[in-house]
Amino acid sequence: MDKKKRTRFIIIICCILAVILAGIIATGGHSGEEEPVKMVMKDAVLHESARINFLGIMTVNPAVISAYTVTAIIFVFALIVRIFVIPKFTKIPGKFQLLLEQAVGIFDGLATSNSPQRHKFLGAYVFTAGTYIFVGTMFELIGAMAPTVSGGSVALPAPLADINGAISMGVFSYCVILSGGIAGNRIKGVLNTLKDFSLPISMSFRLFGALLSGALVTELVYYYITTSFVIPVFVAVMFTMLHALIQAYVLTMLTALFYGEVCTKEE
Amino acid sequence: MPLNIDPQQILLHLFNLILLFGILYILLYKPVRDFMEKREEEYRKREQDTKDALSDAEKLKEQYESKLIEAERETADERAKMSADVEAEREKIIGDAHERADKIVEDARDKAQKEHDRLIARAQGEIAEYVSKAAEKIVMREGDLEDDFDTFFESSPVKKDTDNG
Repeated sequence: MDKKKRTRFIIIICCILAVILAGIIATGGHSGEEEPVKMVMKDAVLHESARINFLGIMTVNPAVISAYTVTAIIFVFALIVRIFVIPKFTKIPGKFQLLLEQAVGIFDGLATSNSPQRHKFLGAYVFTAGTYIFVGTMFELIGAMAPTVSGGSVALPAPLADINGAISMGVFSYCVILSGGIAGNRIKGVLNTLKDFSLPISMSFRLFGALLSGALVTELVYYYITTSFVIPVFVAVMFTMLHALIQAYVLTMLTALFYGEVCTKEE
Repeated sequence: MPLNIDPQQILLHLFNLILLFGILYILLYKPVRDFMEKREEEYRKREQDTKDALSDAEKLKEQYESKLIEAERETADERAKMSADVEAEREKIIGDAHERADKIVEDARDKAQKEHDRLIARAQGEIAEYVSKAAEKIVMREGDLEDDFDTFFESSPVKKDTDNG
């Protein structure tokens, strides 16, 4: 970097810092005192106040809308890929083909390594779960807004940041493990699976807690005006991306692990 | 319910998950995995074909090597046999040559002996003739033939032997 460029860089940084400082000083007297932080936190966890109308049939938490939106996004993406990309697959893959093959290969490999006897269904499930958790968590970053029944609007959260979404994921994973037990060991497999009755609860709350903690930290950062400049950009993106990756990995790995354990034929 | 847990919403999420599972399985997971498996199978088959071809080539190589060794052995045997034949032939030729040479020498010796005998006989004959002629000349030139004859006869070795006994 030559001297001229360095000077320009320093001036730009100074300007940005000055604007942030001015913003902090100018808004210093209004630190979100209308709604106490306790209420904000409670709302982030329970979603009791902001409910959304679902197809005119019922009112639901925003996470349900998020879940169906995520599914719609994935469906459109998968359809485009299926129609336009997959028929043009070549033996030597291009960048996008490589990405798809890697995504499928990672989950297929995870299923094969944990349950060598039965891995086709498991591979498909962990691929779905991983994709859902990753895309669902990243969806939060878009910050899509939806109208609430009370007339306001709410930013759509990650589907699994809602306890109901996390429970359904945990229960579904448990059902998949149970199906593996039945397929592999019949009654014995069922008993083996039922032995770990705490599994759906632990899976659900692990997922919920992990995603919620990220959301709470981000809420806290947003709540106090002095930390609501620049910092949220890093905090929100970092927490969201880390959770997206870590939770996708943890849940799929645990499911594959338990599935492999219960469907292995006992001597 | 505590924590805003709602069974209806759980079922909605579950329905959504099953729907997503079906969509992803049909549209993405299965086609991509099938493609990967097909390609893997093709490469495996190609690898197997290569291994088979390599194995065949190895077998052929071994066969050729064994044939080569066999041929070399046969050549060596043939060479040894030919060498023995040549040696025997050579011995035979040399033996024949010796025999022929001996015969030639023998013949030459016989011939020489005969020639020698013939020359000796001839020489003897000639000598006898010369002696006879010389004697005749001497007798005719110097007197009494009878005396001379007796003298000559008396002096001859044959007469002496007869007298002695």
